[in-house]
Amino acid sequence: MKSWLRERLPVAEVEAAIAHKTVPQHRYSVWYYLGGMTLFFFLVQVATGILLLLYYRPSSGEAYDSVQFIMTRVPFGWLVRSIHSWSANLMVGAAFAHMFTVIFMKAYRRPREVTWLSGVLLLFLALGFGFTGYLLPWNELSYFATRVGTDIAGVVPYVGDFMIRFLRGGPDISGATLTRFYGFHVAVLPAITTALLALHLLMVQYHGMSVPPSIEARAAREKKPVPTMPFAPHFALRDLFGWTIALALLAGLAAYLPWELGHKADPFASAPAGIQPEWYFLWTFQALKYMPAHILGIEGELVAIGVMTLGALGLVFLPFLDRNTSRSRAIVSWAAVAALAFMTLMTVLALTGGQS
Amino acid sequence: MRRLWIAAPGVLAFAVLTASMCVKIRAQVPSPATPPAPAPAAQVAAKPPADAFKDDVHAKAGLTCESCHGAKKADGGYATLARTAIAPLCAKCHADAAYMRKFAPQVRVDQFAQYQTSVHGKQMAKGETRVATCSDCHQSHGIVPVRDTRSPVAPAHVATTCAKCHADPVRMNPFNRSPDIFSEWSQSVHAEALLKRGDNSAPTCSTCHGSHGATPPGAESVANVCAQCHVREAELFKKSKKADLFASMGQGDCLVCHSNHHIEPPKSSWIGLDDKALCATCHDEKMPGAAVIKNVRKGFDDLQGRMAEATEVLDRAETAGMLVEDGKLALHNATEAHVRMRVLVHTFASPPFDEVLKEGLTSADLANSTGVGAMAELQYRRRGLAVATLVILGFLATLFIKIRKLPA
Amino acid sequence: MATEAPSKAAPEPGRRSVLNWLLGTWSAGVVGAIAFPILRYLVPPEIPEATTVSVKGGAASTLAPNTARIVPFGSTPALVVRTAAGELRAFNATCTHLACTVQYRTDLEHIWCACHNGHYDLNGKNIAGPPPRPLTEYDAHVQGDEIVIARKA
Repeated sequence: MKSWLRERLPVAEVEAAIAHKTVPQHRYSVWYYLGGMTLFFFLVQVATGILLLLYYRPSSGEAYDSVQFIMTRVPFGWLVRSIHSWSANLMVGAAFAHMFTVIFMKAYRRPREVTWLSGVLLLFLALGFGFTGYLLPWNELSYFATRVGTDIAGVVPYVGDFMIRFLRGGPDISGATLTRFYGFHVAVLPAITTALLALHLLMVQYHGMSVPPSIEARAAREKKPVPTMPFAPHFALRDLFGWTIALALLAGLAAYLPWELGHKADPFASAPAGIQPEWYFLWTFQALKYMPAHILGIEGELVAIGVMTLGALGLVFLPFLDRNTSRSRAIVSWAAVAALAFMTLMTVLALTGGQS
Repeated sequence: MRRLWIAAPGVLAFAVLTASMCVKIRAQVPSPATPPAPAPAAQVAAKPPADAFKDDVHAKAGLTCESCHGAKKADGGYATLARTAIAPLCAKCHADAAYMRKFAPQVRVDQFAQYQTSVHGKQMAKGETRVATCSDCHQSHGIVPVRDTRSPVAPAHVATTCAKCHADPVRMNPFNRSPDIFSEWSQSVHAEALLKRGDNSAPTCSTCHGSHGATPPGAESVANVCAQCHVREAELFKKSKKADLFASMGQGDCLVCHSNHHIEPPKSSWIGLDDKALCATCHDEKMPGAAVIKNVRKGFDDLQGRMAEATEVLDRAETAGMLVEDGKLALHNATEAHVRMRVLVHTFASPPFDEVLKEGLTSADLANSTGVGAMAELQYRRRGLAVATLVILGFLATLFIKIRKLPA
Repeated sequence: MATEAPSKAAPEPGRRSVLNWLLGTWSAGVVGAIAFPILRYLVPPEIPEATTVSVKGGAASTLAPNTARIVPFGSTPALVVRTAAGELRAFNATCTHLACTVQYRTDLEHIWCACHNGHYDLNGKNIAGPPPRPLTEYDAHVQGDEIVIARKA
């Protein structure tokens, strides 16, 4: 069987590549697992997502009922749906953690700029998945959270109204929005993600794992190469270990903290108190609440969005902004700490009933 | 790099501390008090007659001060009407069908005739002016249609309008009438339905006593009055042994158990032979009917107990995210049976009651078993998870050993 | 690990294959624990529809004119009426006043609620008594000899 495949597919080359792949071993190498963990959660999302779309109905009249059907009548539907919801959150968490460790370990340096770029775009795609997926159960919380979220797009001058109409499929959240978000969630975003993910993973294999500057410096000083571990089977089995724990965690969360369904969305009801977006958007949500109405004549919200856009652009172009001097790298690290502190502060405030 | 790893947690800790301090400070600043709920629609406030008349339905029909008061006096004011003259004055138009047809073709024109049969009307005709006439209930200058929620005789306001006199001991004592009726009615299920739930079909004073022909219904007509809404109970009661019995005792049927104004939600503890029960007012162990009474009471207690169990387990299951549609349907049926049982109490006999009791118990048991089944399913899920976790742990342990044994 | 290497350079074949066998068995268990729910999930459940969209209302031939029957519709009762003129009507049988189950009165030839004497006409409209709103109407049609009641689109 194997020889039949060897003759037709580049099995030998792939095997050789895997056999040669090594992973550096140093005090920070534990963070190397985060990339694979994010990938694992993504694969879980793909699998559970495909299972869900066998029963889900993307129309405003039937969406909620179909999710309830999955939760209550489909065998193990409760498990698939709860895992999908939990894994989404864990995936975004892992993606952020992966990104921050890459920043702190400076793995975006030359020649890994393309890897970094594709990674940042993948993060944005993950947030897009979360945002579009959140609406799909068509419950009270998701309906109003989507309305608030898309309202923010309208703050941008000139293109704001167009952006709202593009996102919502109309002036307000309706069945058209649901269909559109569903299309994004199961077709558009997966297509783009597949391409970028393939690029990202290929680049990681091509360039190998990056080593933080301090470890490189010490190796140069002591004239000893950085110790490595073979990817297969050593690192791979450890990766598998982590993935299995993550799987058990997902199953446990699904059984003991099942994802709520809430009430069906009623567009004519007033928004219930305490509408919040998902936790990974909470910090932007809370920060926007604190903006004064106007700053230097410009709407406060617009300023906040402007700042966040600048931040996102800074993130995208980080490898080009960092001059790779030790001072420049230190600035990046402190900036990352500040950003993380700010995001944490905002999230905590939002969760403890921040003011409106 | 090392400094970073030491300092970063510090900065993060600082962030979290700041956050919690913000929260604490905010907790000390009192949040703006919720504004009090707006007061219920008050009756038209006392305004000077000329102002109040602007809103009046008569003003809209083209009437003026002179239409009722006659010509202006020399000093610029208008003559006050004698109280005994008010009703006949209103009747000049409101009892004239041809005239009223011009303004509201369907409106009734028998109000004055009814008034003359009422206690108020009869007293007023004798010259007793301390009773109600048209303007006491409808007001004189800011009269709005009954359907208008500002009207003092809109369904939600009728009782308070009557209470202006009927809850005032000073006014009631000369006539030997109780001033407690308004407070009694206010505690009844009908008042709760009307005032709290906004159910305008719930009876207020005029529903049972009449509005223009206001008179307390006599003992022989109480059952008929209640039968306006409580048809089944009245039918069954009239066919039962109690109907003739109460008639011969001169008792007002429904009143005997349910009272007239302070009508409370019926409880199954009313049925029984113990001290607190209503039946015990007349019945004891030796009288015929003791067995029926005990049977009916036991039926209610059984069903209520099983329904309470079912509700509790279904709630638990639903909160845990389980499907309980069938259970809720069964509980709905059990509740229906309970309602029918309460109606059948008015037969004061066992057979029809027992049949419905059996249906009710079956439904309650079905509801219960659905809930129990749902909880069992939940346990099955958790046990399944436990098994899967054990398998995973076994795998992890083996994998761990394998990893350790890998050549370096 | 480096210090262990000399003594474990070539672990006895027996031990290694026991370990591998164990690993293989446990992995099979994990794979099974994942595959079993997925396979069960893929098989459609007994009741293929989400909410009750339609129910059977009994035989059409046994529903005489000026009679009605109550059938369960999901978790609420439904009233199926054959009018005196022979038409089929169906309504949610929950009274809009205080949620008692309504009934059909053959003497009145319309719908009545026993709890507080509420009356509804054959279009479901509340015509007398306390009910504040009409009854929700359902679509009723006949397939073969079976009456089928469905929510209005």
